[in-house]
Amino acid sequence: MAAMPDGPLLRCEKLRRSFGDRAAVDGISLSISPGEIYGLLGPNGAGKTTMIKMVCGLLEPDGGEVTVGGRHVSTDLSVKSLIGYVPQDIALYPDLTASENLSFIARLYKLTSDVVRERVAEVLELCELSDRANDRVDSFSGGMKRRLNIGAGLLHHPQLLVLDEPTVGVDPQSRHSILERVQEFGRTGMAVLYTTHYMEEAERVCNRVGIIDHGRLIAEGTRRELVERLGERDRIELSATGNLEAFAAACRALPGVDSVATTADAVQVVASDGRRMLPHLLEAGEPIDVTVNAIDVTEPNLETVFLHLTGTALRD
Amino acid sequence: MRALAIARASTRRIIRDRTALFFLLVLPIIVIIIVGATVRGFSTFRVGVDSVGSGAAGQRIVTALDHSRGIDIAIYTDQKSLTTALARGEISVGVLLPAGLDAVESEAKPATVTIFAEQVNSAQQAAATAVSSVILGQGALVQSASFAAAHSSSSYNQALALATSLQGTTPHVGLRNVSADTSASTLPQGYSYSAPTELVLFVFLSALAGGAAIIETRRLGMYERMLAGPVRARTIIAGEALTYFLLALVQSALIIVVGAIAFGVSWGNPLAAAALVITWALVGAGAGLLSGTLFRTPEQASAIGPTAGIALAMLGGCMWPLSIVSTTMREIGHVTPQAWAVDAWTSLLSRHGTITTIAPQLGVLAAFAVVLLSVSSLRLYQRLR
Repeated sequence: MAAMPDGPLLRCEKLRRSFGDRAAVDGISLSISPGEIYGLLGPNGAGKTTMIKMVCGLLEPDGGEVTVGGRHVSTDLSVKSLIGYVPQDIALYPDLTASENLSFIARLYKLTSDVVRERVAEVLELCELSDRANDRVDSFSGGMKRRLNIGAGLLHHPQLLVLDEPTVGVDPQSRHSILERVQEFGRTGMAVLYTTHYMEEAERVCNRVGIIDHGRLIAEGTRRELVERLGERDRIELSATGNLEAFAAACRALPGVDSVATTADAVQVVASDGRRMLPHLLEAGEPIDVTVNAIDVTEPNLETVFLHLTGTALRD
Repeated sequence: MRALAIARASTRRIIRDRTALFFLLVLPIIVIIIVGATVRGFSTFRVGVDSVGSGAAGQRIVTALDHSRGIDIAIYTDQKSLTTALARGEISVGVLLPAGLDAVESEAKPATVTIFAEQVNSAQQAAATAVSSVILGQGALVQSASFAAAHSSSSYNQALALATSLQGTTPHVGLRNVSADTSASTLPQGYSYSAPTELVLFVFLSALAGGAAIIETRRLGMYERMLAGPVRARTIIAGEALTYFLLALVQSALIIVVGAIAFGVSWGNPLAAAALVITWALVGAGAGLLSGTLFRTPEQASAIGPTAGIALAMLGGCMWPLSIVSTTMREIGHVTPQAWAVDAWTSLLSRHGTITTIAPQLGVLAAFAVVLLSVSSLRLYQRLR
């Protein structure tokens, strides 16, 4: 890897991008330093992918600027050699072999033939696919494709790795493997921008998290910093049947309740002193014939933070 | 360099696709064989003969026809089946030899041989002429034999045998048919017609169908991956255009080599032929790129592309010569690039054309290539941004 610059490697300043009347990204600023894994957390449609496309130079911002290593992404083509992009969907030729796919992508970075061979072998080993190097990608399992998709973004030894929801649709074993790899990348000094809507992934791998909703960065910090914002609040999940929307409204009206969100079969509440609130929450459901089947009171985590900040559950 | 890498990956994918390979390499050769065998020109005529009851005299005419170069004989046993075969196009000409021809001949009476022919085209006219010539030749023998029998002590049969034996040694008036080299009407025949027209058809058609690969690459997110690297949109466009250009060249080269070696096609002036192949490959590259940006799904490109290619080929004279269609249709045909390419090949293959003589066609085709490549590049650029 090339020498790391002082200060943040990626710097986004007041990035804006609209599609028609809808602001997909609305004035987001963030920075990532070498060795830092930054999680961009938000529900589907929050603006994560738009943000990532602007960082990678795939989308021109309406306003603001992106620099990597102090160079502007939108004007300096060579800066893209510092970025490794891992798209959300598998972007590989299914009818070419793993080795052919990697060789092709490596050649786009003007690597010499010897270096291409070396890097392809290196990435295949990293992806644990050396024994399948000459097999067509369409014969691979979903997890193998995901690993190769990530590997393709590492061929040119980028300083900044941008991963757009890399674990979507992946089995638990492959997910575990991918997350371990991402943590390793951070340890080697690579800056990582990692988007996900899986809270536990962000908690596990990211040094710092930015919460994005409706195109705005509504909170940013380490996990501890974000959770501490909640003070003594708890997250209470009430699995229930009946009119959950009416139940949520009733809960929301109770003093001490900060935010309420509904999922398909539960109402999630963030409240001060959750255990004390429980009887009141159950009483709120009685007049509207809601049956609470299970209760789960947990310590605050990023999901609680998200619920508290946005008033919606992350996986809505 | 990067454009080459893109072209190499795209070409590799197409080569690995067996269906694409079949349409790219195998089908054109099959069609050349079929069309070439069908459009064989006027070198062989199939002649039907009803000789029932005509005796030895009739058999002599049948043998003479059978021995005539360029005539294949089919025997029919009644007039109805003979005329039916003619109506169905199974034979070019029908010959009805009258019953009792033997007796009529030996008694030196006039005899009439009937020839059935529609003569609606030059092939049938030529067949009727060839058959008439053979029958008149036999008539001359009979006249000679009758004359000799009447003025000597020989019998008719002895005189006929003598006349027949002398036929090969007696000086006679020969007849030679020479086609006038009128450059306005001469068309290549057989494989010399089918090979160049199928080249024109299949290079364009394969390119249109091949547009599916661009759509699939876009859907796979590969362009996005490329653009996330230090690759400009114009490099991707150049790579894709190069893919279609190279495939068109390879396909053309295959058809030319197979046409020359297997079917004896002479492709005319090499420099002019090379210029035409390259210009047409550029037209194909433009059509392929355009197909990749016009259609929304690979399935649309694979289904609509070949259909459009065949329709344009029909209009442009790849299926039949434009010289046989109406003036209006000929003018409409020349809206397509195919018509100009076929015109150029016709000039090269049957009129000893050179690069100078096909310069107007090359100019028009180059203009088609520029327009197609410009429009498609612009569209692909917009899709990539």
